[in-house]
Amino acid sequence: MLSTDLRNNVLVVRVAEKRIDAGKAPAFKDEMARCIDAGQSQIVLDLSSVEFMDSSGLGALVSCLKRLGPRGSLAVAGAGGAVGRLFALTRMDRVFALHPDVETAVERLSV
Amino acid sequence: MKIRHTLLILTAILGIALLVAVSVQIREEILGYEATERMVASNAVREQLLLGTDALANERSLTFVLLIEDDVENGRLETLGEARRRVDGFLQAAENELAAARSALSNTDESLASLSRARRDIVALRDQVDEYLKPDQPRPRGEFAPRWFRQSSMVIEELQSSRLTLLQRERPLQPTLRAEANLRTFGGILSESIARNQALLARALRNPDAASSLDLEAIGRNAGRAGLAWELIEGQRASPLTEPVRAAIAASHEDYDSTLAPLQQSLLTALLSRVRPGLDSGQWYEVAGRSLQYVASMQKELLRSSREQLQAELRRAQRSVLQWSGLLLLGVGAVAGSILVVRRRIVQPLESLSQAMLKLADDDLTIPLPRVNRADEIGEMNDALRVFKANAIQRERAQNEKQVLHARLRDAYRQLQKDLEAAAVIQGAMLPPPARIGDVQFQGLYRPSSHIAGDTYNILRRTDGGIGFFQVDVAGHGAAAALVSVACHHALSQAILTRNQGTRLDEIAAQINDDWPDDLPYFTMILGEIDPRSRRARLVQAGHPSPLVIRSDGTVEPIGEGGLPVGIIRAATYETLDFAFEPGDRILIYSDGLIEAENPQGEQFSEARLRKLVGDHASADAPALLGMLDDVLRNWRSSETLDDDLSVLALERLPERIEADAVH
Repeated sequence: MLSTDLRNNVLVVRVAEKRIDAGKAPAFKDEMARCIDAGQSQIVLDLSSVEFMDSSGLGALVSCLKRLGPRGSLAVAGAGGAVGRLFALTRMDRVFALHPDVETAVERLSV
Repeated sequence: MKIRHTLLILTAILGIALLVAVSVQIREEILGYEATERMVASNAVREQLLLGTDALANERSLTFVLLIEDDVENGRLETLGEARRRVDGFLQAAENELAAARSALSNTDESLASLSRARRDIVALRDQVDEYLKPDQPRPRGEFAPRWFRQSSMVIEELQSSRLTLLQRERPLQPTLRAEANLRTFGGILSESIARNQALLARALRNPDAASSLDLEAIGRNAGRAGLAWELIEGQRASPLTEPVRAAIAASHEDYDSTLAPLQQSLLTALLSRVRPGLDSGQWYEVAGRSLQYVASMQKELLRSSREQLQAELRRAQRSVLQWSGLLLLGVGAVAGSILVVRRRIVQPLESLSQAMLKLADDDLTIPLPRVNRADEIGEMNDALRVFKANAIQRERAQNEKQVLHARLRDAYRQLQKDLEAAAVIQGAMLPPPARIGDVQFQGLYRPSSHIAGDTYNILRRTDGGIGFFQVDVAGHGAAAALVSVACHHALSQAILTRNQGTRLDEIAAQINDDWPDDLPYFTMILGEIDPRSRRARLVQAGHPSPLVIRSDGTVEPIGEGGLPVGIIRAATYETLDFAFEPGDRILIYSDGLIEAENPQGEQFSEARLRKLVGDHASADAPALLGMLDDVLRNWRSSETLDDDLSVLALERLPERIEADAVH
């Protein structure tokens, strides 16, 4: 479900799914938890492939943020369409740093 | 054909072949035994006949001499009586042997008839002799002597021919026996020649001057026959003969060559040349008698030898029959044993195994398996069958357990279903039915994705106359979301009812957010109120889709652009939106289940489609709008089911001309 890639000490996690809904959210949450528990604190979540995310997916995302805690940061890249609208509707743009693409996000985080 | 039949038939065929071979051999041996028995019987008859013939020849000589004597001494008559008894004894014995061998030999009746005829003839001849021998007999005895000699010789010949007939019928094949039979025949010729000359020469010597030339001629002929007989006897010397037989032949021949033959020749020469012979009648008679005894002892030796050989042969044949019979019994035993072993060790175990297999295949696990304690293939098959049975029992047990488990699951599921249905009834009862509060009419559309939903809504009249409403969508769906939605329902209803004058809606939302336990799922909501005194309404949007306000003129406006859901971020702040809500305006509050409902192609219904639909039906009142929405959504889904909970709450401020009603 997830593929990871370390760039400039920033872990880029790419979600290779079109949907993060109630069915996928638990697995997504577990895999993210493993990445976080492995010690990564600077994470960029690439959602460019995700076309739909429901409240469960959003809940999973927020729980990842909580797990990461204040020592790290979780940036979201490539959230567009329905996912972008969800982020806007729920004001998650205030909670997550949103970037148009992975490069920008990595650049920002590695500063 | 079953293995049982194949094996048993094969064993039986092998057994029968063996038994037939042995039986054929036994038959051969029995035939051989019977042939030997016949030979023995024939030999015994012939022995008595031979002895009888010799004795009769002796009687002939004695009687002949008596008939030509002038006076008869009593002692010689006694000797004659003795000789007659011997003849009778031997012939009686021959007759007895013949009668006893009747079953073994063929044509015994013919031989018996010939024998009794001979005996009758002898008796008749003897009667005549006795007549002539009577002291007061007027006729000269000498007259009868030639007749006696001729006729008794005929009887002797008949007896000999009877003996030869018997020999012809049972001709021995064994070389020694055959040689001995030949020797006896030749010995018989020799003995007869000597006996005849004994009598004839005795008469000639009695009165040498009166010796007839016919008699002398006969004597010469007999001497020739005796010589010929000796040649024939010597011809058999190459045959395998026993030592005693050879010795007896040699002794007899020695006597004949050294004593009898030269003497006989000189006497005959003297008689022919009318010279006085050097020997008288009595002396000659004795010399010839001695020679005859030599010949007789040779014959006895031959008879004894043949008898012994035949007895030995008979014993051998008997032993052989017994041996083969024993072998036959052994064969029968072996065949029976083989069949028994094949049955017990192969056929029966195979049959019980095959029955057990069929039963097992038929799922009959109660069938007891045969008890076999063997290391061979049958033992292995049985072990394998035991494993199959154990596996089958285990499988059956597992199957039963699975069924029990399945039944338990079904029960549990039914119970859960019942619980859920009851919960659904309760949850449904918490939702307000369509009604009017003051100048506000409202109606809800509520469709859970399963029995119970994470969506809920309520509309309440506050004590100050204001109308509070909310719609909640708890993240996720199902039982957990439903329970949380009940908690939200309660918390928000309480918050609306107990709201202090002046507390803003965003403050209520922030308060609930702050109080929300971390481990509960978050929720989105619209919390709103309609001011009874002004034509305005307010609401807080907490992550919920923006409600649509449908103005009385048909324009559709979304209210708000978003907001943080409740329970996600601590110390979140919210914004109270204030907007005009004039008579004839309607507000449509909906959960994301409405716009995110997907058609079979995976396309979402979307906010844009909703807004256009509502715009197209802007004149419809709240119930009609909700009914239309429900229909459109079912068509969109092409199904009665939903992936996410769906709720829509429609509120309408009634136009002023309608009297405000204070119901509720």
